[in-house]
Amino acid sequence: MEDAILINQDINVVAYYFKGKDQPKCFPKRIEYKGRQITFTETGLRHPTQKGQRMVHVFDMTDGQADYRLEFDAASLIWKLVYVADMAYAAFRN
Amino acid sequence: MPPLEINRQAPQVMHIDLNSCFATVEQQARPLLRGHPVGVTNRITKSCCIIAASYEAKSLGVKVGMRRDEAVRLAPDLILAESDPPKYHYVYQRLANIMKSYSPAVAMKSIDEGVIDFHHTRTYINRRDLSVIGLEIKQRLKDDVGSWMRCNIGIAPNRFLAKLAASLHKPDGLDVINHQNLRSTLAGLKLTDLSGIAERNQARLNGAAIYTPLEFLDAPAEVLRRQVFKSVCGEDWYKRLRGYEIDDQTFNTKTVGRQYVLENSRLDNATICSRLAYLCETTGMKLRYKNMCARGVMVYARYSSGDYWYDKKVFKTTFFSNAEICRRALLLFNRRPQDDYIREIGVSCYKLSPSDQNQLSLLEEVNQEVWLSQALDCINQKYGNFTIAYASAYPSHQMVKQKIPFGSTRYFELLCGAA
Repeated sequence: MEDAILINQDINVVAYYFKGKDQPKCFPKRIEYKGRQITFTETGLRHPTQKGQRMVHVFDMTDGQADYRLEFDAASLIWKLVYVADMAYAAFRN
Repeated sequence: MPPLEINRQAPQVMHIDLNSCFATVEQQARPLLRGHPVGVTNRITKSCCIIAASYEAKSLGVKVGMRRDEAVRLAPDLILAESDPPKYHYVYQRLANIMKSYSPAVAMKSIDEGVIDFHHTRTYINRRDLSVIGLEIKQRLKDDVGSWMRCNIGIAPNRFLAKLAASLHKPDGLDVINHQNLRSTLAGLKLTDLSGIAERNQARLNGAAIYTPLEFLDAPAEVLRRQVFKSVCGEDWYKRLRGYEIDDQTFNTKTVGRQYVLENSRLDNATICSRLAYLCETTGMKLRYKNMCARGVMVYARYSSGDYWYDKKVFKTTFFSNAEICRRALLLFNRRPQDDYIREIGVSCYKLSPSDQNQLSLLEEVNQEVWLSQALDCINQKYGNFTIAYASAYPSHQMVKQKIPFGSTRYFELLCGAA
C-alpha cells in the first residue's frame, strides 16, 4: 500500500455497531488513538483471515478523511490499528 | 462429422465474472479510492506491472500487464495498491457460496469467475427465469460483500457462449445468448473477442478466409478440422460455437511449482540459491497439500539478456519433503550457465503420484524424513506457514511474498494460511 502509514499498535475501540438481521455482526464505530477519537463513517470490507490456528478479523474502515485497517485477534481479544491510508499522500505516490 | 444445427435448448449455463476483481475489491475495502484510477500490483517496485486496473484507470487507457511507468504516463493520478490475497480469498468464498446456493454443479474457473450449471438443479429453481436469478446474484453480492461490488453475468446453452455473453457489456452487464440471437450477437464482434482466439488462431482462421465470427460459425467442421486447426480442436470449435457443451472437463494436476522474478538482477549466487530454496519450500507445501509425491524436478532461469535455461531430471524414488525437493533442485540449478545475470527463477515437480507417506518404510532414514516433514507441517498449521522453515530459505521469507495464483484456485486455502 503506497500511500499508507504503518502503525501496528494496539488500540482501544470505544464504540461498536451491529449489522445484519439474523446473525448481527459487530463492527468498530469509534477508536482512540494517541488521545484522539476517530469515528468511522463507513465500513469498507470485513474479512476473517487465519494466522495459523488463530482467527484474525480484518476491518477496513473510513472516517471520510482517511482509510484505516484494524485487526481483531479473536483469541487474545485485542484490537490493533494496522495502517492509516490517507489520500493526501497520493500526491507523493509516483 | 455430420452438420450440426445450432443448439436450440434453453440456456442453462450461467457465467459470473467479477469486474476488475482485485481493483474493485480494493475500492470496496477503501472507500476513498472509489472513483479514482487504481492499479493493483504484486509488488510496488519501479518496474512493477499492473495486474488489475479499476474501470476509472481502464478508461484512461491503463491495461492489465502494463508497466508502472507507462501506466502513470497515461493516468498521472493512478493510485497503486499492493495485492492483498486474503481479501480476494474472502470475496471469492462469498461468491462461491452464493453460487452454490443455486446449484451443486458450480465450477470456479479462477479467482474471479465461475460457472453455474442449472441443468440438474431443483425444479423450484429451474422454473425461475435465469435472468431474474442473475439479477438476484448481483444484489446478493452487494449485500454480502459491499455496495461497490459488481459482476458481469452471461447466460447461454454452453460455457463458452456464457463467457462470451458475460463479456458483452462491462461493467455490471447481464446478457443472454440463445439460438435466436446467436447470429446477431456474433455479427457485432471481432474474431479476437472470442475467448480462446488470439493473434495466432486469428491468423490460422484468416488463412482459411475466415475473417469474422459469423464466417467462423458458418465454416464446415471439415474445414476447421483439416485446414484451420489441423486437429480435433477444429471439431471442438464447431460444436462450441453452436452452443454444445464440450468444455465441461476437469484435468488432473500434472505439475506443482513456483516461480519468482528476482527483485534485483545483480544478486549473488548465495542469495539466488536462498530464493530457490524458498520456492522449493512452497512447492513442497503445495505437493503435500494435494497429498502427492513427485519423481521429477525441473528448474529454470531466465537471464537479463532474455535467454532461457532449464534442466530437468526424473529420479528413481519419489519425494515430497522440502529438503528433498531443494536438494534435487539445487543439484540441477548448479549446472546452469553463469555468464549472465538472472532475472527469473522457477522450480516445478512433475511425474506426480498419490502420496506414499503413510507407508512405513524398512529404512529408518526414510521414516525420519516423513516424521520430520509431518512435524514441520503440524507446527506451521498451528502457528502459520513459515513459522518454522529451513535456514537456507529463511532470508527469502520476507522478500518473496505469496501472491495471487491466477487461473487456478487449487491452493487458495493453503496460500491464504500463509498470511
